[in-house]
Amino acid sequence: MTLNLKKSRSRSLVFYVIFVFICVIAGIALFWSSSENTTEVASFSGFKTVTKTDSRLPLLYQGSNKRATPQMLSEGKILFDENCSSCHGLNATGSSRAPNLVGLGPATIDFWVSTGRMPLAAPTVQPVRKPVKFTRQQVLDIVAYVSSLGPGGSLIPNISGVNNANISEGQSLFALNCAGCHTVTGAGDALAYGAFAPSLHYATPEQVAEAIRTGPANMPRFNSGNLSQSQVDAIVKYVTQGIQRPDNAGGFSLGGIGPVAEGFIGLLIGVGLLMLAAFWIGDRA
Amino acid sequence: MSQSSSATQRQKKDPLESALKWVDERLSVGKGGRNLLDKIFPDHWSFMLGEIALYSFVILVLTGIFLTLYYVPSAAEVTYHGSYAPLYGQKMSVAYLSSINLSLDVRFGLLMRQMHHWAADIFLGAIAVHMARIFFTGAFRKPRELNWIIGVTLLILSISNGFLGYSLPDDLISGTGIRIMFSIVESIPFVGTYLAFWLFGGNYPGNGIIIPRMFVLHVLILPAIIAALIGAHLALLVHHKHTQFPGPGKTEKNVVGSPFWPNFFFKTNGFLFLTAAVIAALGALAQINPIWLYGPYVPYKVSYAVQPDWYMGWLDGALRIMPAWELQIGRFMIPNQFFPAVLLPGICFTIFFAWPFIEAWYTKDHSEHHLLDFPRYRPKRTAVGAGGLSFFFMLFFASSTDVMANYLQISLNIVLWFFRIATYIVPFVVGIITYIVCKELQKTGEMAGKRKRFTLVLRSAEGGYSTVYAEARPGDKDVFAKEPEPVELTEEVNELLSEQAELITTASELPEVVKETFPKGQSGVKTVARD
Amino acid sequence: MTQDQNQKEPSKTLKLADDLKSDARFLPLAKNPKLIENLIALLFILGILCFAALGAAYWVNANTQVLGLTLAGGFACMGVSFVLWGRYLLPKGPFSEERHPIASNTQEFEAFKDSFIGRGKLAFGRRKFLVKLLGAISGVFGIVATFPLLRSLGPNPDASLFRTEWRKGSLVVTFEGRPVKVDDIDVGGFLTVFPEGHVGSFVSQTLLIRASTQPIVTRPGRETWAPAGYLAYSKVCTHAGCPISLYQQQFEQLLCPCHQSMFNILDGAEPVFGPAPRPLPQLPLYIDDQGYLRAQSDYNEPIGPGFWDF
Repeated sequence: MTLNLKKSRSRSLVFYVIFVFICVIAGIALFWSSSENTTEVASFSGFKTVTKTDSRLPLLYQGSNKRATPQMLSEGKILFDENCSSCHGLNATGSSRAPNLVGLGPATIDFWVSTGRMPLAAPTVQPVRKPVKFTRQQVLDIVAYVSSLGPGGSLIPNISGVNNANISEGQSLFALNCAGCHTVTGAGDALAYGAFAPSLHYATPEQVAEAIRTGPANMPRFNSGNLSQSQVDAIVKYVTQGIQRPDNAGGFSLGGIGPVAEGFIGLLIGVGLLMLAAFWIGDRA
Repeated sequence: MSQSSSATQRQKKDPLESALKWVDERLSVGKGGRNLLDKIFPDHWSFMLGEIALYSFVILVLTGIFLTLYYVPSAAEVTYHGSYAPLYGQKMSVAYLSSINLSLDVRFGLLMRQMHHWAADIFLGAIAVHMARIFFTGAFRKPRELNWIIGVTLLILSISNGFLGYSLPDDLISGTGIRIMFSIVESIPFVGTYLAFWLFGGNYPGNGIIIPRMFVLHVLILPAIIAALIGAHLALLVHHKHTQFPGPGKTEKNVVGSPFWPNFFFKTNGFLFLTAAVIAALGALAQINPIWLYGPYVPYKVSYAVQPDWYMGWLDGALRIMPAWELQIGRFMIPNQFFPAVLLPGICFTIFFAWPFIEAWYTKDHSEHHLLDFPRYRPKRTAVGAGGLSFFFMLFFASSTDVMANYLQISLNIVLWFFRIATYIVPFVVGIITYIVCKELQKTGEMAGKRKRFTLVLRSAEGGYSTVYAEARPGDKDVFAKEPEPVELTEEVNELLSEQAELITTASELPEVVKETFPKGQSGVKTVARD
Repeated sequence: MTQDQNQKEPSKTLKLADDLKSDARFLPLAKNPKLIENLIALLFILGILCFAALGAAYWVNANTQVLGLTLAGGFACMGVSFVLWGRYLLPKGPFSEERHPIASNTQEFEAFKDSFIGRGKLAFGRRKFLVKLLGAISGVFGIVATFPLLRSLGPNPDASLFRTEWRKGSLVVTFEGRPVKVDDIDVGGFLTVFPEGHVGSFVSQTLLIRASTQPIVTRPGRETWAPAGYLAYSKVCTHAGCPISLYQQQFEQLLCPCHQSMFNILDGAEPVFGPAPRPLPQLPLYIDDQGYLRAQSDYNEPIGPGFWDF
């Protein structure tokens, strides 16, 4: 029997097949998390070795005694005045809309600006990662400027030990400390009152380390007395390799959120396709 | 048989016939066999939903046998020195280790595991749609109440077996579910703590005996009971004969459809292979339960987005939306988790089991039914069923509150409060709407969903209006078409059919004279002058 | 049709014979069976190729996707072929058979009744007392038979439901066994701790949160429980026993991942949302002379979900 499209029965069948095909494509597109690994290489440009008279120029990187240059501070001030001062105040001391930034430290500022969360487009419960409107050097300029306004906070963590870290130790520490909010596959999930633990698929190694050490927003803060340098290195290695480049030997990862996605696919595609097959095999009347 | 067989034909014994005779002389297949072969199976597509479940079960057993050859049901602690780097050097149970090895190091292992898990999800999905079809068409009425009860029992056993199955690998996510199961068991009044301690061999996490016990239940005890009940389910179906929708030629006293052999046999086998194909495709393309990404279960670690598999989702949703109430009577407490996780399923399954009798009592209808109802003609039952289904749907969606809040970017608290209220309102709304829709559909009768003929409104010269039906277009429902009357499979018809098989050939084999009689592309029967 | 059959049952056979040429019910559904046959042949060949590819893929240890898709392809070819065969190449019918009444007719039922009930009376009639005893013995055996099925499985519930392994003076250690010193954790930090010697114990797992640098009084009577801002709560949720691993620093709340119960840490882990009915038990801490955190005693109430007090 040829496929006679004039007959409503064959036509309905074609529509159903097309509909399911669209659902499958949509489902795959929705749930296939692309593990883009946007690696940013830290740029040490514009630093000079410290001299006594430059002690008010802030240190930025952990394990390095290179200080920011006056040019970074002046560039940073211009950028800050343009993009940040409307909420955080001209002296970064904060306002009713935004917190005081003085004394938060380079790691905190670098995390918020390099992930694009700041500057904020509109007030929100929790800022989300978005494309960064600055170059890496500009971000460091802002970090240098705000850090120069007052001492305090942690320096940008050193990630040189990540490559030699133990990924398995990282997995174990991640499951203990991080999976409860970020899920063990790093997919992220909702917290209370509109806050959320974000997906970890886009964080650079530095950003992971910064978040661990500074505890942004609702995230707890893990200082060196809680997690040592080598433990943080291990977690960073696990996040950037085990989570961002997972071994999806089984096929499409369906978003890494587990049985919720699996149930939808199993019912809509699995049972759905078989019901369509029954539609074909059996009678309609 | 015809007397016209030549002498040579009579002496040449058909090997198939000899084989049949051999079997018949030992197993009496001739006596009852014809009954089976002639058995009529109605052709409606919705009658095939149970087959989805049956064939998924077949795949479950076959893939499951493969898995049992590799899985080791032991909670003994061991250190991983295998091929997957993020787990290297970590302590884990032997159960988890064997599951990881099976998934990552055994050839074909991951495919078998994923096919097994997808088949389980599809198995329960098929049971659900099959049960809905039975409910909405009233196929559970006398004499099929026992079959309904067997079916609900199969549902409960399958849900349990599925839960046990995905908990066997002892990974971080399913291990959390085991802890919740312990808490649910210990919440049962009077016997709960005893049962929990006995099952686990002590206070949680117990002495490790729970894993081999789950294994034996999942691999031997429950599948044996399920297989036996499926056998009984099918035996009753064969004995009672299948129900059918009302229609031309169909009465309470006959069954209209295809004979088991060869029509239905070919179609149902085709369906078996299609089910296997869908499950294999899912097992190949869609990752399910990637336990190596989750890590081993450690009692003081947990992940987020930890829903159970979909068929347990309604229980998880019920646990989430339950308000923080606990009943304290003196020194005795009925804990919070008892109400959504023990009382709710208890009430639900009791209603399921009792439904045929509830309906018989309510409608005062105690007669045999072999003709099904169209759901629209039983609006109250359909409305109750739709409301009940939507209640389970709401509970099912309520189990994904955190994922939903994250995906839709709504506050988690708002999502939960929505479900706390909507779960009770939506079933009523859906029920009322369903009732109204059924009533409306009743009015349209056979024309529902079909394109009607146009009505032309004509205005006469005097100004009066009249209506006339337009000509039927192709695709309009032709309510006047005559449906073919069914042919009863008597001995004569069987003979005709078997002769016809020898006569009907493909068009290319028809002799010339027949090719003239029947134009190309049309096969037909040639009449042969026999001597 | 043959002359014999024509003579056997004239009316029925003749009617069918006349109809047979044009009776659609005896013809296959397909207008062009040859096309369907060719299609089936093609599908079977394709299926053979798929299964052969499966064999080859297995031989070279190909990945799951290749193995599964070749398997699915082969099954799909077989499935579609069988359906085409059964649906389009066979007489399309419909055919029917008679339904016989389910219930036996009166004579059969009477005969059965006489056999079962009638002859049964030979055994049971006027022996009601024996029947009652039979019921009793079956009942007692049934009840007793459940004993080994249940009781032998494991120990009875014991005091471990009411106590953990924390004692007065227990050293607070991390999962690596490292003791926690008062200056170790910054404000906003949290970690999982155990009593020394019982690392990994389920019932004793405790969340240590540094919420401040000053002592915190969560409830009256707990003035000394949180020295230097260290709050210690049982990690086992009082709802269904999951480990609570989410600490929301700004909201100062713990969130359980399983069913989203939320606990305010500053007022004794009082549940403010979700199904958890009771607050998390708080572990009273003190700082010893070397600056290590220790427990003052065990928890003052049972940890974890509620249970029927046996």
